[in-house]
Amino acid sequence: MPADITADSVLSLILEHQIIESAEPVTASTDLFALGMDSMAMMQLLLHIEDRFGIAITPGDMTRDHFATASAMAQLLAEKRT
Amino acid sequence: MSTPEAFDVTVVGGGSAGVAAALAAARQGARTLLIERQQLLGGMGTNAMVHTFCGLFHPDVSRGPQWLNPGIPSEIGMALMQRSGIHKADLMGRVYVLRHRPADLAQLTAELCAEERHLTVLTATEVTALAPGWTITLGDRTIHSRAVIDTTGEALLARLLGDTHWDLAASARLYRPAYVWSFHGLKDELDEPLRLRTAALIVRAVKAGALPAAALGTTLRASPAKGEVFVSTDLEAGGDRWDPTDSDQRLHLESEGRALAHAVWDFLHSSHPSFGSITPPSLPVHAGVRESARWLGDYVLTADDLIRSRRFDDEAALAGWPLEMRETARGPKFRYFDQPEPAGIPSSCLRSSSLPGMFFAGRCLSCDHEALASVRVMGTCLATGQAAGQMATAFRP
Ligand SMILES: Cc1cc2nc3c(=O)[nH]c(=O)nc-3n(C[C@H](O)[C@H](O)[C@H](O)COP(=O)(O)OP(=O)(O)OC[C@H]3O[C@@H](n4cnc5c(N)ncnc54)[C@H](O)[C@@H]3O)c2cc1C
Repeated sequence: MPADITADSVLSLILEHQIIESAEPVTASTDLFALGMDSMAMMQLLLHIEDRFGIAITPGDMTRDHFATASAMAQLLAEKRT
Repeated sequence: MSTPEAFDVTVVGGGSAGVAAALAAARQGARTLLIERQQLLGGMGTNAMVHTFCGLFHPDVSRGPQWLNPGIPSEIGMALMQRSGIHKADLMGRVYVLRHRPADLAQLTAELCAEERHLTVLTATEVTALAPGWTITLGDRTIHSRAVIDTTGEALLARLLGDTHWDLAASARLYRPAYVWSFHGLKDELDEPLRLRTAALIVRAVKAGALPAAALGTTLRASPAKGEVFVSTDLEAGGDRWDPTDSDQRLHLESEGRALAHAVWDFLHSSHPSFGSITPPSLPVHAGVRESARWLGDYVLTADDLIRSRRFDDEAALAGWPLEMRETARGPKFRYFDQPEPAGIPSSCLRSSSLPGMFFAGRCLSCDHEALASVRVMGTCLATGQAAGQMATAFRP
């Protein structure tokens, strides 16, 4: 069963897989690009998202707006699941 | 055997650090010799197609791009901007960087060296042995030099002297090497949306088995020249068995990098209209090695010194680039200085009192593995090289 999609579950996936590492606390509304998330980190993130939530991200989904924060990602994923 | 030739300063390795060291020494009037194994000067910034100068600017970006180290680092930075038609450094998140074309760096460094009448440059020449005093062997040729500077990027001279003066991080922790190549003919601008879409395409191709998993370490960057793109792939390179001083492993790295370049090129070219008219890969002379052996000098610079922007009385250069850790091929982890203030690199990191007349700079200066994540960038290498050149010129036995 793929995991539930919430801003917190996306955030914990990001932290668990060290997609970004930060001395400052990271919340669901932190701008991840400002913390240094680059296209390489996003590739890792896509792999983990597909594994955990069972949702395939298309190249068209891959925009800054969709990936800037954990809550934005959760929203995209929730829309794609329905 | 021919009579030995005598120099005041001999610089071994003509990368960022070595070129700066040789220019600094020759400009102060030292009879200087620069020895480089490859045909081109510029080190990783030409032969491995590293295409961005980091560490040239003050870490406080709120003031705009401010040159951090006076002299050769800013001279070379400005000359590269002029050649590539860049008017302002790029703000990348919290730091300024300067993109360059490897061919421009090769040409610029050659021209700057040719202008110095006290400087002799030997390319396609390798140092094979060394004895204190200093006697340097280049195959069947022997050189005498009052002072020597190791800017080989791999503490080669320390290793030629034995086991005591150098250190090498554990294989699993060494910053990963990368393979960088380029293509021309991209019709669209390589902006963020295109870079992100391409990342998603690569992930799908890896999932579908169309590209090897190693392709996940790939990043695309726009060259200053229109339509030219640099493609870098960080490689695991044998993980906890990686040894950058082992020639078999280096050979394997080259073939893996080359094969990957062609696979990624094929994929991009055939799967996305933006890449439909790109030229086949232009390959580097060799893969890029981020970390190898480092000298152990009178002081070993630490990550803590950098993070706290520590300053020293005997300062040789300033560091301003964050710690950019690349222990895996899954992307860099940045650690910024606590304050946006530069840290000092003391001259005691560029010499060892047990070896009078020996100096070292660039990515093989005396620092620990973590500090290297910052000081290895080319802007900082230019600055430590310049300082080593001046120190070697002033040295008297
Ligand atoms: C993939 C990759 C990406 C990087 N990205 C960046 C970046 O974006 N920005 C940045 O600023 N830095 C970057 N770096 C780091 C930077 O390129 C290097 O740390 C820097 O070039 C080191 O400069 P150096 O002069 O100390 O050594 P090198 O550039 O390695 O030069 C050493 C020179 O010594 C020569 N040599 C070695 N042994 C001998 C011998 N026995 N005899 C004669 N010559 C010898 C070599 O041929 C070489 O030319 C990157 C590095 C890599 C590998």
